[in-house]
Amino acid sequence: MINEEFASLLAAAQRGSEPAFSRLWRDVNPALLRYLRVIAPGAEEDLAAETWVQVVRGLRSFRGDEQAWRAWLFTTARRRAIDLARHRSRRPEAPLDDVAVAQLPRTEDSAEVALEHLSTAAAITLVSGLPRLQAEVILLRVVAGLDTESVARLLTKSPGAVRVAAHRGLRRLAQLTADTGVTL
Amino acid sequence: MPNIPQSPLQDGSAVTDTDLVALLAGKRDVAPGLQPVADVLAALSAEPSLGELAGEARALAEFRRRTVVPVPRRHARRSTAGRTSRLSAKAAAGAAAATLVLGGAATAAFANMLPAPIQRLAHDVIGAPDAPSTTQPVPARGKPTVPGQAASHGTHKSNAKPHNASRHPYRHGRGQPGTGQGQQGQGQGQQGTGQGQQGQGQSGAGHAGQPGAGQPGQRGAGQGRQGNGLGNPHAPGQYGDPHFLWQLGAPHPPATPTARHARPARHTQP
Repeated sequence: MINEEFASLLAAAQRGSEPAFSRLWRDVNPALLRYLRVIAPGAEEDLAAETWVQVVRGLRSFRGDEQAWRAWLFTTARRRAIDLARHRSRRPEAPLDDVAVAQLPRTEDSAEVALEHLSTAAAITLVSGLPRLQAEVILLRVVAGLDTESVARLLTKSPGAVRVAAHRGLRRLAQLTADTGVTL
Repeated sequence: MPNIPQSPLQDGSAVTDTDLVALLAGKRDVAPGLQPVADVLAALSAEPSLGELAGEARALAEFRRRTVVPVPRRHARRSTAGRTSRLSAKAAAGAAAATLVLGGAATAAFANMLPAPIQRLAHDVIGAPDAPSTTQPVPARGKPTVPGQAASHGTHKSNAKPHNASRHPYRHGRGQPGTGQGQQGQGQGQQGTGQGQQGQGQSGAGHAGQPGAGQPGQRGAGQGRQGNGLGNPHAPGQYGDPHFLWQLGAPHPPATPTARHARPARHTQP
């Protein structure tokens, strides 16, 4: 999070300052990729690039604080991911020898992968084993840094449903790590 | 009864909502059973790797393409010139349309083709011919007028103009209500008989003689010698020769049989 400098950086980026935009990009893009790696595994790079193209188009007209900025970015990325999923469902392409790791069955294997790689990628893989809503809520709360209300708006859920999903996801994650003895 | 071992977190009782809120807030000092979860969440928000920053050049290129490229001045001038030329074209088209409309209206006014009110307006403004009177019946060409009716104008356009001091009988009647002195020409003029003695009776008194009434539309009321009672000079012979009427002292020389197209000279009565 950028916090105090965000307003000046955004204003400079809207005036065309490349360093300011680079700082904004470096702040958000890693979180964006981690989120997309869970909801659209294998297409996170392309989706992130499409998201930034759309953000650059609307950058001058954006008004809001850092929470709104991040919510805008992740909402755009999520819509891109939904569009991609629809496209894939219409034209499925799944070569058997090129299945992404995140698309493999995720029971205890995900925890085993996490045991082997104590890293961010392993944590993402572990979270990918959660139900979709719980995984999204945890990522948006922890990785994107959004509050409950922003996540609720993004997912078109009520704030209560978001809290319940977050707690259930954390309980489920605790259970997974306890069962497999994961210590990151 | 089988003894199934359970994980301490399997029933969820060991995890409180406070712990979960602390986890979501990024705190690491949580219950010992949740420490692995705290580590996972910390790994999720760890520092970015180089691979996650590899797309910066692409994003910056898109940013540069969208925001930094200035608008060429030539295009700006062209757009301004285009707007100006479009405005000029619109103004020219409007002026041409207005010219056509006004010209057509003026032509129609001088051809005496406009409706009576508009024709009178044109008469006042641009000097077009005045509209013919509409209150008095206009007999058909070649027919005799019925005695006792207003026959002052007849069908002869050359005599159509009343001899009022004013060219506007309506205004005149309004201006001098109650005078009623005019020789209105109520048909006493023995129209068509060849006598041409119109205006002998003071028939106009009855119309305009309402003191103070001053009603507009009392056409011909007032002092004007409304009509000369010549009748229809084109009437058949049984009604007399219109030229004979003129010789008897009619104030205007009779028009030629095609005098419908001739314009009478304006007469003002002192």
